[in-house]
Amino acid sequence: MLALMRPHSRAVSRLLALMIAGLALVGCGINTIPTLQERTKASWSEVLNQYQRRADLIPNLVETVKGYASQESKVLTEVIEARAKATQVQLPPDILTNPDAFKKFQDAQNQLSGALGRLLAVTENYPDLKSNQNFLALQSQLEGTENRIAIARRDYITAVQDYNTEIRTIPGRWWRAILYPDAQPMQNFTVAEETTKAPEVKF
Amino acid sequence: MASTPWRFGRILFGFALLLWIGPATAAEPNYPQLTGRVVDDANLLSPDERAELDADLKALEDKSSDQLVVVTLPSLQGFTIEDFGYQLGRHWGIGTKEKDNGVLLIVAPNERKVRIEVGRGLEPILTDAMSKVVINGAMLPRFRTGDYAGGIKEGAKGIELVLTGDAAELAERVKGRHDADDPKIDWAVVIFWTVIILWFIWVSWRSSQSSAYRRGSSPIFLPGPGWGDSSRSDWSSGSDGGGGFSGGGGSFGGGGASGSW
Repeated sequence: MLALMRPHSRAVSRLLALMIAGLALVGCGINTIPTLQERTKASWSEVLNQYQRRADLIPNLVETVKGYASQESKVLTEVIEARAKATQVQLPPDILTNPDAFKKFQDAQNQLSGALGRLLAVTENYPDLKSNQNFLALQSQLEGTENRIAIARRDYITAVQDYNTEIRTIPGRWWRAILYPDAQPMQNFTVAEETTKAPEVKF
Repeated sequence: MASTPWRFGRILFGFALLLWIGPATAAEPNYPQLTGRVVDDANLLSPDERAELDADLKALEDKSSDQLVVVTLPSLQGFTIEDFGYQLGRHWGIGTKEKDNGVLLIVAPNERKVRIEVGRGLEPILTDAMSKVVINGAMLPRFRTGDYAGGIKEGAKGIELVLTGDAAELAERVKGRHDADDPKIDWAVVIFWTVIILWFIWVSWRSSQSSAYRRGSSPIFLPGPGWGDSSRSDWSSGSDGGGGFSGGGGSFGGGGASGSW
């Protein structure tokens, strides 16, 4: 009777052994690279999402400021142009592993940040504008968005750091060589120039 | 002779320990302890005021399922309040993991800063503009005169008002709570372990039947799904009645507003 069972049972134990081997591989980090890759992509989407949110707020802000401070046309056009440029930047599908495209995107967004900063600095001179409810609401939304951008960027930086470390250090490096040869190191943000420069003080 | 595997094991153990301690994070603030819904580390409230506020916040969670926590900090440790706020929210995990419905009201009297930090799930309701209105209208005027207790109380009231203001939306939001709280059994894990255990029983039964056929094939124990990711467990979702209070793993993405006086 046992002799009859044997071929069948051998197949079953082979299948189970395969299952267990698969689980052991999971324990060794065979899934780490794709997992981190997905996390990086998700953080990148969040970054794009928050930049988009900022771009969406700007037309309304510009209109409101125009109503009170139309003579500041230079700063206003600067913001409009920087926004147009930032939203027109083409994002190639390989942007995360393409240093040039990544830098272009970052430059455009930094330029918009600078122009927006100048616009908000100028509004300080218009008390009527500053007490306008619509403007106050827009301003708090813009502040919140800048804060979200900062956090999204920071989360992205950590995600890329983890991913790049994984594909360059030992178990991950082997897995990459064997199974994920197309896993490239991803680009990370560098600190914007404006923020590293000390603020000017004028009297 | 027998000492070689022992030494090897000890070295491995040392390595494992190193790896385990290794990823100590760099620039993170020292977080205060989550002792309750009111964490008054800067001592701005009297015990009575604390108890009253705590009851208010508890009532809010019972009503709307949202967790609001009031924190006063003696120091921001050199961080901006925006920086401190979202990291503290994530660290404590205020709000449930499914809905990210936590809010922090942070007051740092020594830096003269206040912030309403809004969990991702509540950003559409307690918007940045609304948070700013609460801060500018209810809190800052009182803080300027030194009335911290009053400002915090009114601020919390303002947040509650925003969160519970739209009755239809609130009902919609609360409806999902009970589904989310039900502990769901992960059938895949149950089946997996049942199969493994049955296999072990079968293997040992078979080897006892015909020990001549297969020798020395002892079962090896391996970790499977449901093991090792205890850091992501959903067991602590929300707080249940009395006892302690804890977050449910809610996440924060920088929503809210700040003010200073």
